[in-house]
Amino acid sequence: MRRYETVFIMNPELSEDQHQLLFEKLHSLVPKDQGILAKLDEWGHKKLAYQVKKHTRGYYVLMDFCGDGDLVKEIERNLRIDDRVLKFMTVLRDEAVDIEAVKAEIEAAKEQATRPEPAEEATGEGEEKSDAESTGNQEAPAGETELTENTPETSEQEEQEDATS
Amino acid sequence: MRRVKRKRRLFHRRKVCRFCADTSVTIDYKDPRTLRFFTTERGKIIPRRVSGNCAKHQRELTRAIKRARTIALMPYAATLSHY
Repeated sequence: MRRYETVFIMNPELSEDQHQLLFEKLHSLVPKDQGILAKLDEWGHKKLAYQVKKHTRGYYVLMDFCGDGDLVKEIERNLRIDDRVLKFMTVLRDEAVDIEAVKAEIEAAKEQATRPEPAEEATGEGEEKSDAESTGNQEAPAGETELTENTPETSEQEEQEDATS
Repeated sequence: MRRVKRKRRLFHRRKVCRFCADTSVTIDYKDPRTLRFFTTERGKIIPRRVSGNCAKHQRELTRAIKRARTIALMPYAATLSHY
């Protein structure tokens, strides 16, 4: 099972209800191919860096899910057909994913969703919360350790380059 | 000999990869605000020799910028009024 992330841009002129219709469709679509929908995050209205189908603004939605290639194919096919969607992009996040870990993550996110109301009142804690969400997956710390291991090597290389130039 | 020395002093400015120096900064295509720092105001990716990034992080950075472009978070080519 792989973990994917799809960002798609929806027509900003549509109402919330119409957005919701598509979300429901996606919710029903993912479990069909033994997939798990980890997160459906609405970023809201954003200005586009360039025009997409004559629109200068768009409603961004991030979908985080686990599944196989067939599921991605199916989701992309649906997004392509749907004229509420202006543009989409799917990114592979992890080659092999532990289903149990993802489920635990979903549970944790749910708990957070019910709890954070008092936290939001305190302005300073808003940032911390978003950090925790983004680094919530377990592979993130592994990447960081790689970085720290590599730093001395790269600095050595740079020194060599400087010496030769 | 003297000339060489002088030259070196002029051009030797140690650049450190920002992402190596500070591991808390992550490269993510969803965060165009950080990525924007590594593009020109026209939207071009700043080369490694200018920004001083290490190869690994420059690679990640280009990938992130290109992804952000795909999903219209960053421009392929921007006019100056965008900034």
